[in-house]
Amino acid sequence: MGLEFRKKIALLSDAVGVEDAEKLLDWLQGKPAARVDLSACTHLHPANIQVLMAAGAPICAWPSDAALADWLKPALVDVQ
Amino acid sequence: MNALLEQFLSESREALQGIGEKLMQLEDAPEDQELMTQLFRLVHTLKGNSGLFEFPEMTRVLHAGEDLMDAVRNERVHYSQALADHLLDAMDFVGMLCDDIEAERPMPAGLAADAARLARSLRALIGSTDPAHPDPAVDTKNIAGDATAASAGGCFHTDPTALARIPEAIRLTAWQQAQAGSPLFWVHYQPSEECFFQGEDPLHQAKLTPGLLWGGMLARAPWPKLAELDAYRCMLDFDLLAAASRDDIEQHYRYVPDQIQILEVPAQALALPHGDPNGGPAYEDFVADALGFLERGDLTGLGRAVRSMLELSNSALWLSSDLRWISAFLEASPVNLPAVRTLIESLRTLSVPNWAVALANQAQVAPFSAANQAPDLASTVPAPPATALAHAPVNLQAQAIADVLAVQREVLALPDDAGWLGGRIKAAQASLLGCLRASGRTAEEATLNTAAAAALLANTAAPLAQWLAQAFVPEGVSARTKTTQTTPASAPMPEPATAPDPHSQPVPAKDAVVAESPELDLRMNRRADDANSAKTLKVDQVKVDRLMNLIGEMVVAKNAIPYLASRAESVFGVRELSREIKAQYAVINRISEEMQDAIMQVRMMPVSFVFQRFPRLVRDISRKLGKEVNLVLEGQETAADKNIIESLGDPLIHIVRNSLDHGLEMPDVRVALGKPALGTLKIVAKQEADRVVIEISDDGKGIDPAVIKQKAYQKGLIDEAMLDRITDQEAINLVFAAGFSTAEVVSDLSGRGVGMDVVRTAVERVNGSIALDSVKGQGTVLRLSLPLSMAVTNVMTIASNGQMFGVPMDMVVETVRVPSANVRLIKQRQATVLRGRIVPLLSLNALLGLAAPPLTNDDDELATLVVRVGEDNVGLLVDEFHGTADIILKPLLGVLSSLRAYSGSALMGDGSVLMVINLKELL
Repeated sequence: MGLEFRKKIALLSDAVGVEDAEKLLDWLQGKPAARVDLSACTHLHPANIQVLMAAGAPICAWPSDAALADWLKPALVDVQ
Repeated sequence: MNALLEQFLSESREALQGIGEKLMQLEDAPEDQELMTQLFRLVHTLKGNSGLFEFPEMTRVLHAGEDLMDAVRNERVHYSQALADHLLDAMDFVGMLCDDIEAERPMPAGLAADAARLARSLRALIGSTDPAHPDPAVDTKNIAGDATAASAGGCFHTDPTALARIPEAIRLTAWQQAQAGSPLFWVHYQPSEECFFQGEDPLHQAKLTPGLLWGGMLARAPWPKLAELDAYRCMLDFDLLAAASRDDIEQHYRYVPDQIQILEVPAQALALPHGDPNGGPAYEDFVADALGFLERGDLTGLGRAVRSMLELSNSALWLSSDLRWISAFLEASPVNLPAVRTLIESLRTLSVPNWAVALANQAQVAPFSAANQAPDLASTVPAPPATALAHAPVNLQAQAIADVLAVQREVLALPDDAGWLGGRIKAAQASLLGCLRASGRTAEEATLNTAAAAALLANTAAPLAQWLAQAFVPEGVSARTKTTQTTPASAPMPEPATAPDPHSQPVPAKDAVVAESPELDLRMNRRADDANSAKTLKVDQVKVDRLMNLIGEMVVAKNAIPYLASRAESVFGVRELSREIKAQYAVINRISEEMQDAIMQVRMMPVSFVFQRFPRLVRDISRKLGKEVNLVLEGQETAADKNIIESLGDPLIHIVRNSLDHGLEMPDVRVALGKPALGTLKIVAKQEADRVVIEISDDGKGIDPAVIKQKAYQKGLIDEAMLDRITDQEAINLVFAAGFSTAEVVSDLSGRGVGMDVVRTAVERVNGSIALDSVKGQGTVLRLSLPLSMAVTNVMTIASNGQMFGVPMDMVVETVRVPSANVRLIKQRQATVLRGRIVPLLSLNALLGLAAPPLTNDDDELATLVVRVGEDNVGLLVDEFHGTADIILKPLLGVLSSLRAYSGSALMGDGSVLMVINLKELL
């Protein structure tokens, strides 16, 4: 629920709360090549968005929630 | 409205009054430190209280006031006249809010802005070194003006780089919405860095912005290295484009008015072509042609040319984007020709049009060209030039609406026989819809649509005309907006369906916004004038008690009248007079009963007075014991006499402690027993007839009758024979016996053996009763039944051995006459059979130690008063029954107080003394 870490992918699902930001930050710090999968995410607390923005972590799957995706796409990096 | 809020309002009124008084006193003695401290306390308390409720505006103003007072108290700022003025203004604002809250009126629009202004002006006083001459910029009156100036001047947002962040498709949608009459706003939301710690989620807040069309996030500063990043310091700014009224947006952000900036976006500023320049500008031919069409006024031709060009071009080109905008502008009516020209000309350079300059130019030319053309309203009214006119945008808008409405009235009043009636109705509907949107009355759209549908169905314009007459009363609109022209002179028609509906309030919301500042002043002035009438009186209890005693005496005096009536008849033989006295008695009786009831109401208090301390008590105790308890309180509004409620306090605390300590098990034990770990303690109050019933139930381990029996035996409360005989229910009731305690260890909570008998005594002292039910392993229910009031007692009067006695009516079951022959002797005791049940008979004379035997009547029947004592019915043999009477029971005092057989005495109407028997003691 919320936050799940695979080898090189962080899976964010449902509503990711403010308390997950610290974990996400810790995880991203050790993994420069990490990607983020947001497909199952319905809401992302801005603290998490900040972390993703600062880390520049590429997003390999955008949220299926179009409204959330519209918010995030200009701010985050698409995987290329 | 809940009780807490009511109390808050009444306390706030007092506090505001106090603040006003203190400020007045300070004017005479500005150096008085003591006064200053008191003033600070008042403001501080008021602020604290307001924080309990959702009144951010109030808290904001009070907080600023508190800070100011703190500064004054610490002599950082000196008291001054100006300071007092500002503080009084702020308090008037708070008082006004209180009024609105009490009347359950919706909060007026722009409240947050007012609150922010007042708070700013108060804070400015802290900052300014010379408070006697506050910075004129923050003077309240100027501040009021500020808003208007700002909305007219600085509130435009035409920054192309910011607007270009919005995708073209959304900008086009926004532009179309603006054409349909909704205003567009750019909201810059800069949450405070600490907002995450306050549990805020700015993204969530932004997402829920009313009328949100687009939103984006930007970092406030370049991101630091990940290792140095503080995830919990908000560094994001939010930018939003919303199609909603400024009020709605302010309302949405009313908790953070200082963190947002709302700028109006002129619709055409959204027309920002972008895309691939494709090697630079090379469209001179097309530009020349297009300008030619424009010059000739051939918009159809221009539209065709633009469309064919658009079909030929790659849609990713800058050119295509520009053409899309041109065609969108051409579809609008009226066509904004200068804007189209600007767009066409921009093709020459492939540079984004400078709308700020273009707008300024247009504003000077002719902002309103076609206000009289009804269908044009939707586009003209919200169009930016209207608002760009700094002087009287609202007047112009109101005027435009008035014009459109006049035309519509005219159109709708035309004869219905034309073939194009349907189209006419639809056109009118569209125009009126635009009017509604422009005046912010979107809520009424539904009624308009219904009216239009009805009109189409009936094939006559009448329903719509009627709607128009009701929704827009011409005088109302113009009087409100102070436009000079009320009904356009060009309207030759009499008003269709004239009768103006007094219920409809034709107040365009937009007006209210602009007029709000002067209106606020007005309201404040009015407030200063009218004396605020307090709804609650604080009365010394002694005064109420005196009233209570007086009404008691009144009841006694009233009761003397029937005697007088019978004397008039029997002694003086004036039957007529007797009847008149009796009639008069009935009137006095009714009034005195109502009076008694009214005074009783004054003394009534809700049980919440006692209940309110339980949540804390239960929390503390359960923490201490390590138990998990869910406290459920019900029926808090049940009211009873103050004395009764107050006498409940201690017994209830005992009971609750007992339940927590002995009743509910530890969480692990509960889980092992298959119960939820969370125990439930339920306290329910309700009114049953003339009694208040309070039930305290828990789902704990219940009472084990076997253990009780054993304990009672060990403590010598019962003997061995009793031990065998006693039923489980009786055993359970042993917990009420004096000196009984089951707890193994005496804790500081309960278990000293003074628990339940103290409870019983306390309850019985106020004529209450207590019953205990318990199922082992399932829980315990305690039921307290208390009278609503103890002031007046209803008694049955009886005579025995020539004396009058009273027996409380609530114990009397019935009065029967038992023939002497039916009285049986069972061993030494008399008994009779009533309706198939054996009722023991006791002679009242014998019980009272009087030698005389009970008298029988002529038919040799014994007057028997059947009373219920505990669970049993007992027949009391008396000499004669008399009627019932309301008496004021006075307990026996002095030497007589040891006479337990009587619960008290009362003065009867004829001056005699009635002794009221305490049956529980007697039997």
